Amino acid sequence: MSNTLGRILMVEDDPRDTDLTLTALQEYNLGNEVIVTRDGEEALDYLYCRGKFRGRTTENPAVLLLDLKLPKVDGLEVLQQIKADEQLKMIPVVVLTSSREERDMVASYKLGVNAYVVKPVDFHEFVNAIKELGIFWAIINEPPPGSIRRS
Amino acid sequence: MDIGQERVEGQAELKHAASTIPRFSPGVRSALQGYGLAASSVLMALGAALLLANYNFRGVEFPLFLMAIALTVWYAGIGPATVALALSAVAFNYFFIKPFHTLYITREDLPYYVVFLLFALLLTWFSTVRRRVERELVKSRDELQREVEIRTQQADLLNLTHDTIFVRDMNDLITYWNRGAQELYGWSPSEAIGERTHQLLRTVFPLSLEEIQLELLRAGRWEGELEHTKADGTTVVVASRWSLQCNELDKPVAILETSNDITQRKRGEEEIRTLNRELGKRTIELEATNKELEAFAYSTSHDLRAPLRHVAGYAELLQRNAAAVLDEKGTQYVSMILESAKRMGTLIDDLLAFSRIGRAETRKSVVSLNQLVREAQSEVADEMAGRKIVWNIGILPDVYGDRSMLKLAFVNLISNAVKFTGTRTHAEIAISCDERGEDGVTVSVRDNGVGFDMKYVNKLFGVFQRLHRTEEFEGTGIGLATVQRIIHRHGGQVWAESSVDGGATFYVSLSKH
Repeated sequence: MSNTLGRILMVEDDPRDTDLTLTALQEYNLGNEVIVTRDGEEALDYLYCRGKFRGRTTENPAVLLLDLKLPKVDGLEVLQQIKADEQLKMIPVVVLTSSREERDMVASYKLGVNAYVVKPVDFHEFVNAIKELGIFWAIINEPPPGSIRRS
Repeated sequence: MDIGQERVEGQAELKHAASTIPRFSPGVRSALQGYGLAASSVLMALGAALLLANYNFRGVEFPLFLMAIALTVWYAGIGPATVALALSAVAFNYFFIKPFHTLYITREDLPYYVVFLLFALLLTWFSTVRRRVERELVKSRDELQREVEIRTQQADLLNLTHDTIFVRDMNDLITYWNRGAQELYGWSPSEAIGERTHQLLRTVFPLSLEEIQLELLRAGRWEGELEHTKADGTTVVVASRWSLQCNELDKPVAILETSNDITQRKRGEEEIRTLNRELGKRTIELEATNKELEAFAYSTSHDLRAPLRHVAGYAELLQRNAAAVLDEKGTQYVSMILESAKRMGTLIDDLLAFSRIGRAETRKSVVSLNQLVREAQSEVADEMAGRKIVWNIGILPDVYGDRSMLKLAFVNLISNAVKFTGTRTHAEIAISCDERGEDGVTVSVRDNGVGFDMKYVNKLFGVFQRLHRTEEFEGTGIGLATVQRIIHRHGGQVWAESSVDGGATFYVSLSKH
């Protein structure tokens, strides 16, 4: 099982945050299976296999790393749509955000988020957090049926 | 209080009637006097008749005796009059009817005698009628007097009250004015009675007078607030109640008006309304400000941290990947960038925590301060690493408050005490309860650290205010501001005493309930 690697869908509008997150994941060889979408709409397109993701295989990602502050459709809306959809609601969703605001946290948990992580300012802490997230959700955690697996 | 105009008028009439009833002649009080009067008046008539007869005046004896009888019946009543009649008849017969000096009556004298008797009877009857009329008059007078007394007493009772009571007729003329009315408006009854109410008082009505009159006629009563002008020109607001009085024919005759001065109450109400309006306005402003602050805090939380994270992240990557090409200075710069980014991160976190205290709801419960202090100590354990501190913690009370906020306050106070004793080889920190009152307690945190100059004490609790240089003691300058905000939200006070190099004591007063 330790060799199987699930697909990580990341929703992040800031290219620098994306860059740093990917750097952190690459340090632990988790960078290859990350799909990056830049806003909520694109993330939903990916999940529903529509738009430019029309041709992709229909498996769900093993985990969704979701920023809250996003252009067009924001993170909480994406979360709401996923958790309201019979096909998608099983996907583990981890909110990965700069916001430590209680109301964001409460709103996310109310919508059924699986984890809520505040991005640490300190780079070491940040790398650690991303690494542990990646290892836990993509390797240790057994994803629900229908998730894509790396052979 | 169903007095009306009629009653008041009636009262005046009664007084008038009582004073104008003529006093009857006292008459003759006792029976003896009555019969004495009968005898003496007949004797005097006989004497006069005999005297006149002596001088040959004839025919006067008959009217003289009639006068004596009339006098008796007038003054002494029927009993003595009968005696006078009998005596007169005997004397008349004896002295003036032939044959003289006998009681014998001749046939031709009989009509004369009968007329005399009839005339006397007529007089008696008249007199009796007069007496009956007199008795009735006296009886009515006494009744009137009693009535007047009762009414006067009732009117005096109305004067006892400090409520304003006056009566006016259907032409708006005042007919009664009690002491309360005089006290409130300043006019005496004699000044007010006969005046037109609404002219005198310059009444301001809440609705038109016609509407009020209609309601009064329909329901028999009306209640409302009126504005009146007093004799001294000032205005009063009164709660006024009007009652309509009708006579037996159901025709309205008078209006009774009772009023209470509610000027003070109205003024108070108006002040409260003004204050409430201002408060409402201020609340809206505050809510708006609060929303702005919240938006600010949110963007601080999210938007300011992201670039900071990037600065730190890339500086770290630079340090790691470009170490080979960086000289000593370059390496130093990068580590300074990292340090500053970290410091700014702490600053933002502290500021957010501070702003959250103002916005968060307090969840109050009974909190054991001893336990709270133990937890706070363990939270600052990192800062105490390698330090030797003598703790002296007394028995602390339970207080009522928001547990997590109070903990944050004590973490800040203890962290400060630990920080500012950093230069001491024998650091001592004492936490004790200095005062246990009925409602509140005062707890102090005392250290033997570097202290501060009391002339800067007013700056101590301000946001970003620091009394020491950063290289001496680290800190963001938000800790004590946070403590103050928490304690204020609990309705308590926080203050400090210190001297340079003499340690510092921070006092916190908290409510027990």
